[in-house]
Amino acid sequence: MERYLATFGRWLLVPVCLFILGLGLYYLMRILRWDKQQATGLALISPWLFGFIGFTAIPIFYSLYLSFTDFSLFGKEKWVGFGNYIKLFTNDIEFWPSVRITLSYAVFTLPVGVFGSLLVALLINREIRGIRIFRTILYLTAILPDTAVAIIWRQLFNGESGLINFFLSLFGVNKIDWFGNPKYVLPAFVIISVWGIFGTNTIIFLAALKDVSKALYEAAEIDGAGGFKRFIHITIPQISSVILVQVVMSLIGSMQMFTVAQFLRPTTQAGLFMNQLVYTRGFTQLHMGEASAIAWVLFVIILVLTLLVFRTSPAWVHYETEVKDVKGIKNVR
Amino acid sequence: MKRLCFLCTMLLVVAILFTACGTTGTTGTKGISDTPGTAAPDGKSAAQGKPSEKVEVKLSTWAGSEEAAELQEIIDRLNKSSDTYIITQDSNPADYETRLTTQLSGNAGPDLFWVSASRGAQFAARGVMLDITDRLSKSGKPAANLDDYYDSAFGPFKVNGKIYALPWIMQPVVLYVNQDALDKAGVVIDENWNWDRFMEAAKKLTMDKNGKSLGESGFDKNNIVQWGFTLNGWPPVQMFIWQAGGEVIAEDFSSSPIDTPEALMGFNFYRELLDSGVVPSQQTIRDRGFDQMFRDGQVAMFMGGAADSLDTKVENFKCVVREVPAGPTGIKATFVDLLGMGINSKTKYPDVAFEALVDLAEEIHKWKVMPPRKSIGSAENMQSLHPERKDAFPAIVNSLEYSRPYRFYQDYPDWDTVFWNQLMDPIVNNNGKPEELVPKVKPLLDEALK
Repeated sequence: MERYLATFGRWLLVPVCLFILGLGLYYLMRILRWDKQQATGLALISPWLFGFIGFTAIPIFYSLYLSFTDFSLFGKEKWVGFGNYIKLFTNDIEFWPSVRITLSYAVFTLPVGVFGSLLVALLINREIRGIRIFRTILYLTAILPDTAVAIIWRQLFNGESGLINFFLSLFGVNKIDWFGNPKYVLPAFVIISVWGIFGTNTIIFLAALKDVSKALYEAAEIDGAGGFKRFIHITIPQISSVILVQVVMSLIGSMQMFTVAQFLRPTTQAGLFMNQLVYTRGFTQLHMGEASAIAWVLFVIILVLTLLVFRTSPAWVHYETEVKDVKGIKNVR
Repeated sequence: MKRLCFLCTMLLVVAILFTACGTTGTTGTKGISDTPGTAAPDGKSAAQGKPSEKVEVKLSTWAGSEEAAELQEIIDRLNKSSDTYIITQDSNPADYETRLTTQLSGNAGPDLFWVSASRGAQFAARGVMLDITDRLSKSGKPAANLDDYYDSAFGPFKVNGKIYALPWIMQPVVLYVNQDALDKAGVVIDENWNWDRFMEAAKKLTMDKNGKSLGESGFDKNNIVQWGFTLNGWPPVQMFIWQAGGEVIAEDFSSSPIDTPEALMGFNFYRELLDSGVVPSQQTIRDRGFDQMFRDGQVAMFMGGAADSLDTKVENFKCVVREVPAGPTGIKATFVDLLGMGINSKTKYPDVAFEALVDLAEEIHKWKVMPPRKSIGSAENMQSLHPERKDAFPAIVNSLEYSRPYRFYQDYPDWDTVFWNQLMDPIVNNNGKPEELVPKVKPLLDEALK
C-alpha cells in the first residue's frame, strides 16, 4: 500500500511542480515587462515546453555530443572527435549495406505509399451506399500494432502455406524464400509497406479531396474535360500541398523502418535498416557513441532528402493563396 | 488566482505527504533506520551494509508468468526465513536486457538481476556488477563454495580473476532423439557415437513417403516426411569445431584461429550436414518451426539445451536424451549456455544483497536443470529432485563434464556480430562455402578482438 501511495504522491507532484514552474515563468516574464497576455500564454504552454526541453531537445543535443565520444552507457565517456564518423564511413562493414537497404526501401515505398493511398482515397471518396463502413474498415489497419502486422505478414510470406507464394504458384513461380534469400528481402518489405497506404495517409487525402471545390469540376465538365483530365488538371494541383506533406512524412517514415524488420528478422546478408543498426550498436554492443553517430547520419540523410523535396516543390505544388502570372513566376497574395 | 495557488499548495502538501509515507513504511522494507552500506569489496563492513531491519532487495528477471510463479514460491520461503532481507521480484521477459541496461545506466537498476552470459561479460568488465570475490571466499554458505562449481561455470562472469556473478544454470547442448524412429531404422547410439556414425544415422532416419531412406535406390527427395537432423545456425558451429580440436577465439583473445585445419573440419562438417539432404531446407525450417518439426515427428534428432526438456514435453513418440556425437578423433565437446545472477554495483546494501544472492542461488540450483554445482548436479541427486527426467540425467551430467561456453569478453557481441553476419549466415542461408568465406572473414574477426 505504501508503494502505491508513494507513486500516487509522485503522480500528484508532477502537475503541482509544473504549475509552480508555469507560475514562476509568468511572474518572471512580467518582471521582464512582457505583456500580461503574452506572459499568460507562455505560462500556459510551459508544461509542454518543459517536457519538450527535458525529453526531446536536451536528448537530441546530448546524442550529438555522444556521437563524438566512445560512450558505452556505463562509466565516463571519452572524446573521440570524428572517430565514430570516420569509422562508419571507412571501416564499418555493416554501415553501407544498411544505408543501401534503407534508401532503397524509401525509394520503392515512397511512390507506393503516396500514390497508393491517393488511389484508395479516390475510391472511398465516392458517395455510394455503405461507404462509411468501407472507410472504417480501411482505417482499422492503422490501429493495429506493428508487431501484429508483422505476424500477419509472416504468415502471408510463409514459403509453404503462405498466400503470396500460393498466388505466385498460380503463375508458375517457384516457392520463394522471402526472408532467407537476400535478393527477396527488400521486395518483401516493399510489399509489406502496401499495408501503410490504408489508414492515416488515406484519411488525409480523403479530407483534401473533399476540400476541392465542386465548381472547378463542373466548369471543366462544361468545357468537355474527361475524368482523367479533371484528375490531372484539377484534383492533383488542388491537393498538391497535401501531396507534399505526404511525400515528406512518408519519406521520414520509410527511412525510420524498425519494428517490422526487427520482428521478422530476415537474413542479415540483406543488411540491417539504419534504425536497427542504431539499436544493435547501442543496446546489444553497448557502443552508444557509434549508435548516436549512425542516428545523426540518418538524420542528415533525411534532412537532405526532405530539403530536396522542398526545393522541387515550387514546380509542382500549388497553394490556394498563390497565383501564377503568365511568365510562371509565383506571387503570393 | 489566490484560490488556485491555495489549491496547488494543498496538492503539494498532500503529494509530499504521500511520498513520504511510501518511503517510510511501517514494515521497514526500505530500512527506515538503516545506514546505507558502502560497497566495500573486502566485505569487512558487514555492519555498514546490514541495516537493523529487513531491507527490500529488488530482483529483476526475465521469467515468464509460469516461471515467475515458481520463483515467487522460492522467494516467499526465503523471505520468511531471512531476518535481513525481503526480496521483491520484478519479472518482465519483454525486452528484458534493454530495459535492465537502461535502468542500470540511469542509476535506477534493481539490486539483484538475472543476466545472460554475453551481457554478464559486458557488465562485469564495465563495473556494472559488484565484485563478489572476497565476499564469496568469506561466506560459509554452500552456494559460495567455488570448488563445488564446474570449471566452466564462471567463464563469462570472471574478469581478471575477479568474480562478478553467480551462475544459476548450465544448459549443455544434448541430443534429443525420437527413439521410435531410431528403433524402426535400426539405429543404435552407443559409446562409439561420433560424426561418421551420426551422419550415417541421420541418413537412415531421413525417409520419404514410401518409407525409403536417403541413399536407398528410389528415394524420393521431393517427398521427404522425416529428416534425420536439423540445424539453422543452431546448434552453434563452435561445438563442431571444438569436437574437431579447433577454436574460434584463441585462449589469449589475440586472434580467431578459424582457418586452422581443425576449425575448417568443423565448418565443413556443418556444411556437409546442410548439403547431404539429412537437414530440411532453411525455408522449410522457417515455415514449419525449428523445434516444432522435431515435436511433430518430422525430424528424428534435435540438438537442444538440457533445460528444453523435450523428453517430457513430446507426446507423440518416445523422446530420449543422448550425448552429442564426438569428433572424428574422439574429442567430446558440447556448448553450454550459462545464466547468472549479479548484484548492482550501486546497490545501497551490498552485504544484504550478497546474502540474498547466495541464498537465492542455492535454491535456484535445486530448482533448475542443470545446476552449475557438482554436489547438486550428480545424476543420482538430479534424479531424486526431478524424477520425471530420470532417464535423461546420465547423458546431461556426462555432457556437463566436457561442455564449454563461448569465450566471452567485454566486447564479445562485436565479434559475434561479424561471426554470424559475415560467416555463418552466408553458410546457413546462402550456400556459402567455408573455404571461400573463412579467409575473408578471419581478418575481420581478428580486428574485432583488438
